[in-house]
Amino acid sequence: MTGALTGGCQCGAVRFRAGRLGGAAICHCRMCQKAFGGFFGPLVSGYEVVWTRGAPSYFQSSDRFHRGFCAACGTPLTYERLGRGADEPVELAIGALDDPRLAPPSRQVRYAGRLPFFDCLTALPARSAEDEARLAAAPPISFQHPDHDTAEWPGPGHDEGSHV
Amino acid sequence: MSDDFTGGCQCGAVRFRVAGPVNHASICNCRMCQKALGNLIAPFVAFAAPIEWTRGRPTEFRSSQNVNRGFCPNCGTPLTYRWGERQPSLTIGAFDHPDRIMPTVEFARDNRHPVFAHYDEMVEEPIAGTDEERDILAILKSYQHPDQDTDRWSPGEGK
Repeated sequence: MTGALTGGCQCGAVRFRAGRLGGAAICHCRMCQKAFGGFFGPLVSGYEVVWTRGAPSYFQSSDRFHRGFCAACGTPLTYERLGRGADEPVELAIGALDDPRLAPPSRQVRYAGRLPFFDCLTALPARSAEDEARLAAAPPISFQHPDHDTAEWPGPGHDEGSHV
Repeated sequence: MSDDFTGGCQCGAVRFRVAGPVNHASICNCRMCQKALGNLIAPFVAFAAPIEWTRGRPTEFRSSQNVNRGFCPNCGTPLTYRWGERQPSLTIGAFDHPDRIMPTVEFARDNRHPVFAHYDEMVEEPIAGTDEERDILAILKSYQHPDQDTDRWSPGEGK
């Protein structure tokens, strides 16, 4: 299913499909940081988005916008203008795509808000090879939804091929 | 400045306080962290001191047999990563002053999103690109909880 414009939350209660993706960006504003619990908000414009399982819950983060998330597991999913028209894109959380590589950000917005260590993030030391090998030898049983659509869910736990 | 660190979710229904110093701060590229946070990398910090939940509590989703991940049930902000009965780690972006918590180690580098191979190439975009965006931002009224503790808070009262 790699390449499918599908995605959803960690637990799989909310799933979506997009007809096509537009521009992708990371946003350094304080509202995206806090909403995502991250260093920035990663968003891609999704056109013809349909919710194929469940639907997001929303928090109205300002008078003009609201943000969608999964009520069962919390995954941030969307950033949407209130009163958005049917032909207007939904801004989707890139990490919620089943294949986030399909949305490489090309722009940084609210650049002045970027954290002082942002430019150093790719220069951090990696976890030791011994620790990575130890984790790979004993993969956890993941309860995360797989990175593709499923006919029925929840399903059994599975090896996600990552650490937790 | 106090040695304490405070933070919470976007809406302010869940707030926490923890005494420094930072024990361990990291970023993780693994697919589970990506999906849980809807992000490309997940920044977490652990403290030796106990976390005090000063308003509300996170709801947890059990993401694997080892791990529970906490979030705000009202606005969804990812907040915690808890291995077994260990003290949870906290998402750095949820802190009121995340610039105080610089990560020192990277996990799951093999799964780095490709943009981090060349993220210097991402161009800077002005705060608002169009007149319409500038107009909207000029009068935007945020309903996010302020970056400090509050005695009382009603989501939606703005600041």
